[in-house]
Order: sequence, then structure tokens, then C-alpha cells
Amino acid sequence: MARPRDVSGLDCEEPFELAAARVVDVRAAEVFAYAERVLSTEDIEPLHDMRVASRRLRAALEVFRVCFPKKRYKAAIKPLKELADALGERRDRDVAIVFLEDFIAEAPSGDRGRLQILVARLREEQREANEALSPLVSEESLADLRGRFDDLLGAVRA
Amino acid sequence: MKAQKVKGLKPDRSLGPNAARIVATRLEELRGFADDALEPGATEAQHEMRIAAKRLRYLLEVTESCFEPVGKPARLRVKELQGILSDLRDAETMLDRETGIASLESLLRTRRELLFARFQEFWEEEKTVEALDRLEATVS
Repeated sequence: MARPRDVSGLDCEEPFELAAARVVDVRAAEVFAYAERVLSTEDIEPLHDMRVASRRLRAALEVFRVCFPKKRYKAAIKPLKELADALGERRDRDVAIVFLEDFIAEAPSGDRGRLQILVARLREEQREANEALSPLVSEESLADLRGRFDDLLGAVRA
Repeated sequence: MKAQKVKGLKPDRSLGPNAARIVATRLEELRGFADDALEPGATEAQHEMRIAAKRLRYLLEVTESCFEPVGKPARLRVKELQGILSDLRDAETMLDRETGIASLESLLRTRRELLFARFQEFWEEEKTVEALDRLEATVS
């Protein structure tokens, strides 16, 4: 799992709203950094990293909520929450598949067939979760989300 | 679960005192779930405590430098707590599928028991209690 990036130059004496802009800027960049390979089901780490980054960004927004204009805040957090939920749906299946595939090798032979059916069902759910996620991580959607965060940060920096 | 509202935040004041208010609220929130979550089978309270731990952890990732030297040890304990509760949640979620596969359900029930015991033990460990007490003393 990716470690959070340091927010350079964060100073406990600086105004809360300037710290807000600095932290949210870094945390938003983390979300976009993992978008490229997020739909891969061969390598599930980019999705995990993007999901954790989206959770860190939501947490930062909650912390600094008071610093942002309500309308722009809502305009940014709503699509972020949708994205985070869609990432979570995929991640739940990824985790379950990895767990079961490890278990099949050591399971009693009589249970293996049913376990394989269960994995196949989870693979189908994983595919459906990817279909739901796909439009949210398209270039267009991410550019729109980035724009909303630029607007949000612009309001504080102005 | 919605985060508890933090009163008295001032955007034009410095980060330090505002962060202290938020940490104090999030820590209280986390501890507020403990009594219920430490009961066997209290899956909802354990889930809420996991979310509260996550919120406090991510908050400390950003602000712990304002609470040196107690911020980082507290964050590391909270991170570990979140990990235990997340694994417990994963086991619960898988059990909820009611697969009817005996070996899998037996493994998951054992895993759930071990994780719950680990959660109880971890929460009462001196290192955890001390790290959270010191953080509370710093932010209050």
C-alpha cells in the first residue's frame, strides 16, 4: 500500500485555511496518480492505492471542511464519494478472491469444487464492479473532478 | 457513520489549535465505541470503531507534527488497531455470504475469534492506553 506523501512545508503556526489548501492539494494529487491502471484485475494494487488515496482525501476534506465555501465543497466531495464507493466495491471482491484462492490449495478436496464456483461468482461481481467504476475513472470524469478540486482550492487561495 | 461535528474551529487561526480540537473530538469518538465494540458479536460497534480509527489515523498523518512527541506513537497504535478491525470486518463480510462450505466457514469463524481476541488484547495493552492517554493530555 502506498504511503501518504508528505505535505511539504506544513507549519502548525500557519493559518488553518492555508494548511487546508496545501493538504487537500497533495491528497487530491495522490488520488489521480493511481488512476491509470486501476481497472486491471491482474494487478490489484493500483486500485487499492487509489482507494486508500481517496479515503485520505475524504478525511482531509472532513478535517478542513470549515475552510471551504459550502457549494464548492459539496461539488467536490459528492463525485469523490461516488468514486470511493465504486473503488470499495471492487476492492471487496479483490480481497475475497485473493483470500479464497489461497485457501483452495489447503481446503479439503471435497470442498474445492464449491470454492471454485464461489471464486467464479466473485470474479463476475468483480467484473460488474469494474463496469460501474470504469466511467468514473475515464479521462473526462477525472478531469472534471480535478477541475472541481481546483475550484475548491482556488476559493481558499484567493 | 458521519463524523461528529467539531465545534469552535476558526479558519483564520493557526493549524495547531484547530488540529488539537479535531484530534480531541476524534479521539473521544474512537474511545466512545470501545465499550460496545469489546463485546463479542458487536459487529456494528466494531465497524464504527474501525471508521473512527481510520479518521483519527488520517488526521494524525497530516497533523502529528503539531503534537510531538506523542502524535506519531499514537498514530502507529491507531493504524494497527484499524488493521485488526479491518481484518475482523473482512472475516464477518465473508461469513455473511453463508456459502455453506463447512471448511471455509470453520476457518472464518476461527479467524474471527482470533482477531476479536487480538482486538481486546491490543486495546488494553499498556502501549495503546499510554499512547492515547498522552495524546489526549496534549490536545486537551
